[in-house]
Amino acid sequence: MRILFVIVACLAIIGLWLSTAALAEQSTSAGSASSQAPPEASSSDIDGQQMFATTCGFCHQDGGRAAGRGPKLSKSERSDEYIIERIRKGKAGAMPAFGSVFSDGQIIAILAYIRGLDD
Amino acid sequence: MALHARYLGGCAVLALAVALTGSPTHAQDAAALNAEAAQNDWPTHHGTYKSYHYSGLEQINAGNVKNLEVAWMHFPERATRGLQSTPLAVDGVLYYSGSYSRVYALDGATGRTIWTYAPELDEELVAKQTHSPYNRGIAIGQGNLYVGTVDGRLIALDLKTGKPAWDLKLLDSKKVTVGFTGAPLVVKDMVIIGAQGGEWPGRGPIFGVDGKTGQKKWEFFTVAGTEEAMATWANDSWRTGGGGGWMPGAYDPETNSVWWGTANPAPLYDWSGADWKKSGPRPGDNLYTTSVIALDPDTGKLKFYHQELPHDAWDFDSAVGEFVMINRGDKKLVVHPNKGGFVFVYDRSNAKVENVWRLVNNINFVKDIDPKTGELIGRRDLALGKADSPLCPAIVGGISWNSGAYSPKTGLYYKIGQEVCMELTVEKTTPILEPMAQLNIGADFKLVAPPDGPARGHLDARDPVSGVKKWEVNYKQPPLASIMATAGNLVFVPDAEGVVHAYNAESGQELWSRNNGMGHNAGIISYMAGGKQYIAIPAGWGSLVGDEFVALYGEPFKSMSKNTGALIVFALRQ
Repeated sequence: MRILFVIVACLAIIGLWLSTAALAEQSTSAGSASSQAPPEASSSDIDGQQMFATTCGFCHQDGGRAAGRGPKLSKSERSDEYIIERIRKGKAGAMPAFGSVFSDGQIIAILAYIRGLDD
Repeated sequence: MALHARYLGGCAVLALAVALTGSPTHAQDAAALNAEAAQNDWPTHHGTYKSYHYSGLEQINAGNVKNLEVAWMHFPERATRGLQSTPLAVDGVLYYSGSYSRVYALDGATGRTIWTYAPELDEELVAKQTHSPYNRGIAIGQGNLYVGTVDGRLIALDLKTGKPAWDLKLLDSKKVTVGFTGAPLVVKDMVIIGAQGGEWPGRGPIFGVDGKTGQKKWEFFTVAGTEEAMATWANDSWRTGGGGGWMPGAYDPETNSVWWGTANPAPLYDWSGADWKKSGPRPGDNLYTTSVIALDPDTGKLKFYHQELPHDAWDFDSAVGEFVMINRGDKKLVVHPNKGGFVFVYDRSNAKVENVWRLVNNINFVKDIDPKTGELIGRRDLALGKADSPLCPAIVGGISWNSGAYSPKTGLYYKIGQEVCMELTVEKTTPILEPMAQLNIGADFKLVAPPDGPARGHLDARDPVSGVKKWEVNYKQPPLASIMATAGNLVFVPDAEGVVHAYNAESGQELWSRNNGMGHNAGIISYMAGGKQYIAIPAGWGSLVGDEFVALYGEPFKSMSKNTGALIVFALRQ
């Protein structure tokens, strides 16, 4: 199962490279003089399942399969773009902005993990 | 010579008079802070240093509480995540803080605004924080009001005008992600405040700052703060951190000790199982996390401690700031609740365990805790993968962070217990340390009902030393606000759905209730203004524990606003 996620993540990263201009522009506009650039993804840190359990599972219960502090994510009808933007920019008072914490590749890996979830 | 002696004697009398009258406020402050009951004022977070959350006022009492009605209200700006703070009251003025560390000074009798203060925060940083932007309280002393900020500052405001006296950066919150949400504690000339942080790679420092000058005097690392402690984090794992002292503790003037509770280590859940002393993300006891520590307030030096849960692998902090100081016979004791659902009773002179008792029914992270030594019996150390049965309590704890109350009149300790468990799967994690740290949890989990019934809460009235129960009131959902006892033979409980209840402190019989319209997760106080007793209750939902109630209970929490609040003040009908 995890291999599948990594494959999906890799495909998604390739897709991301094709649209880097839009994302790079958003990244700059979300930051400020004091913000640091997100780190580059490496092959060892795109395990979406692991990243989810490290950070995201605090609010999205049962690995994203059930609502908790945050909503259920499995079978979400939200678009990929919406989920990526929500991870990067957060929601005031509800979800932190992870745009300067996770690399674009890591965010895509988390998205791939979410898309691979069964109920 | 005779004249000289008479002159000296006169000077001595004059000096004494000056000493007695020249600083009456200081003398009164010390007496009020050391008393068992908060009287006309509510001068510190826990009522007094004894942490009883008990008002000695009795104008409002069991006989007339049915006539309690709203006197005035105040609405804070930008109440993101509701209101979570405990107000203070001094000389008829009520002070309280809201989200983003905004502070309000109000006439205690009418609610008229005297001044307000809104610090400019690093909003970009705030947007990246999980445990933010709420504030849980303030402190008053040296003519100042003190408030911490989520971007790592401690600010002093002139009590009369609200103008900043000093603004001190204590934490590099951009690096460690967290700042301050808990109330400071004023002890003599020092303002003491603990950082947030159980799930981040900080070292949970507690700071001592000179209240007059704003100079940092000391910093104590709750993670590996001594050589002894450093040895309890193998493989340099102290860098994964945790241990924030995120709620204010209390002060024992007899031993000149500040008691403080510390948070869990990171990650919360450890995949090493029973081999935790040698393997996993943080091998060893992980001192001084999930501990109660006694610090010298003048130097910040550790005097003594007790680690309630060595190598906490369940996120059951000791950060609850409540240290109830009571005497039994010739014994001087302090009672401290732990998030795991046990209540510890210590000797106040050395933190030696005198007793440990259970407040909640559903506990399986240990089989028991030895009431004579505090040793954990039958630890349930989780291994990688799905746990074979739910862990009890759940991550929200058997006991949450708000405070109970003790009435010296009834001799009873009133405390909320939570009955909820969770399914979990432990995952191996890699901490994210750069460029900005984020939560380090180490598991996927889902809250579920406990084995003995529905997920629920209860208010217990118990002997604080033996734990023997006198009465109990049950709730569909655990109330998350602090509670208050009064000399009027009353116990007030602001609940999760928005209703405030007043009970007979002896029997638990409900005598009065009113719906404030939104859930409570803040601190209730009482005070006197213009010869009249008031009860102030901040309402406004949105704590991280309360967020779990949507999945557990559905409505009314699904529809309850998390970004509004009101301070609602009650008095007797004329």
